[in-house]
Amino acid sequence: MTMVATSEEAVQDSPTVRRKSNKTLWLLAPGMIWMVAFLVLPILMMVYVSFWTQTTFKIEPTLTLQSWVTFLTSPTYLGALWTTIRIWLLVLVSTLVVGYPAALFVGLLIKNKTLQTVLLVLCVIPFWTSFLIRVLAWRPMLGTEGAVNMILMKLGVVQQPIEVLLFSELSVIIGMTQIYCVFMVGPIAFMMGRIDSSVIEAAQDLGASFWRIFRTIILPLSMPGVVVGAIFVSVMVLGEFATSAALSGRKVNLLGNIIVTQVGSLKWAFAAVAGVVLTIIMGAVVAALLKVVDLRKEL
Amino acid sequence: MNAGGIKLGLGVYTILFLIFLYGPLVVLAILSFQTGPEGGPQFPIIEWSTYWYRHLFGLTPPSRIAPLPIDQALIRSLSLALMTMIVSTVLGVMSAQAFRRRFRGSGAAFYLIVLGMMVPGVLVGLGMALVANTFGIDRHWWSTAFVLHVVYTFPFAFLVMLAIFNRFDPSMEEASWSLGVTPARTFRRVTFPLIFPGVLSAMLFAFTLSYDEFSRTLFASGRELTLPLAIYGTFSVEVHPNVFAFGVLTTLFSFALLGTYAILMGLSVRRAKRVSIQEDA
Repeated sequence: MTMVATSEEAVQDSPTVRRKSNKTLWLLAPGMIWMVAFLVLPILMMVYVSFWTQTTFKIEPTLTLQSWVTFLTSPTYLGALWTTIRIWLLVLVSTLVVGYPAALFVGLLIKNKTLQTVLLVLCVIPFWTSFLIRVLAWRPMLGTEGAVNMILMKLGVVQQPIEVLLFSELSVIIGMTQIYCVFMVGPIAFMMGRIDSSVIEAAQDLGASFWRIFRTIILPLSMPGVVVGAIFVSVMVLGEFATSAALSGRKVNLLGNIIVTQVGSLKWAFAAVAGVVLTIIMGAVVAALLKVVDLRKEL
Repeated sequence: MNAGGIKLGLGVYTILFLIFLYGPLVVLAILSFQTGPEGGPQFPIIEWSTYWYRHLFGLTPPSRIAPLPIDQALIRSLSLALMTMIVSTVLGVMSAQAFRRRFRGSGAAFYLIVLGMMVPGVLVGLGMALVANTFGIDRHWWSTAFVLHVVYTFPFAFLVMLAIFNRFDPSMEEASWSLGVTPARTFRRVTFPLIFPGVLSAMLFAFTLSYDEFSRTLFASGRELTLPLAIYGTFSVEVHPNVFAFGVLTTLFSFALLGTYAILMGLSVRRAKRVSIQEDA
């Protein structure tokens, strides 16, 4: 090569560069158009419709705040909002508590690469099976004649079957924890696997206790994994309605359930308001989680 | 407490964790062999039988328990998953190819794509239903639901391909071209074998995620049910072991897909190794 570009402009103007950026544009355009038309537009439509006028069976594009006023003054909707936030927090904490030790073991303490891969695969396989079947599988587990009660009674732990196990808030939390802890274990185990074992060995040689090593090395280095897992779990739990419908016997109504019922009775504007509220909560949660750890710096 | 004790404790905990993860599915599988039609969805097993599996395929005499509406639903779900797989993989490969060069606005484009897998189905589903209503479009599984399935699975395909292209050395392609190999042959002999594991993973993601997709389909498809919608329909009524039998079969189907994927991946790795040995020799 004898010709050397002397400035940015020369590079920009050279025909090969322009042809290449045209190629980039053509490669990118279909995906971008798809996402704008079928993701961004529907979300904007939802925001727009939340200000439409709702009559008994249809909506009219006359702008009003009526649906918002109804939502914000109705104890049912506000109750659902509070339930959603409560369940989300409980499931977030329980997936972390249940998943973290397993991720610690699989990602850090297992030195055998084959065993580690097998355990990781075992942890993520449920991700590839039907979500609804996994929800439904809790019904024969938790009922008064269910497997858990049967085992507890055989062992003599309880005399009477525990009724609160199924069709309660507890059953929803148990079900969601099992379904979503995969998304917590994966990212944490991934970050654990990247911890340089010589750092831990050095700390051990210097006489640090396990708890000290955990507090000062393992926990801080696994935090990005916790944040990524928390983002996955939060977004999915906040958008939930099937688990609560199947395992709570209609006792737990999340915002997602409100949307489903409102759509079922053709109250589109109310459903849209609930959807916008949900979007705002999710945006706030994700933004707050990203504040905790700067992912771009860590990953 | 010493490190060995902690490791043992965590090991035991991980076994309990795996039981928690798989226990419900195992119980469901056992109960699917309950006798029928009088046996209910709980222990004890009155008598082992394959009644509910035969019930699923309409091979039992009619009883008060209606069969699951799965024959048409299965065809719809498989076609939808196939369509979604093809479109998502093509879009994923194209977009990831575009990201091999740095360009202005690449950050925004990246987030727009990833948004598709993050936004919950209930929100896009509702939005799509509103768009369809406003513009007077009929909702069908092959139209409005299909485009949402692609919105959901295309980001997975994109991320997988991005990871593949990040490790991809463009000088291999250039070397092939400069040796006078035609672009088509280069793609077949150089580019495709290198990106094949990624394409396969992208296809697996897109197919299985679409096959099991539920919340987007619920809002965006019309009256014709897909498999997950047929299952969801049973949630509101009494559950019979026929749903369990169906759950076992669909889980086995997912495992078969994973198995096929693992075999194909293994073959492509072996082939790559063989090629590198030939080069070394």
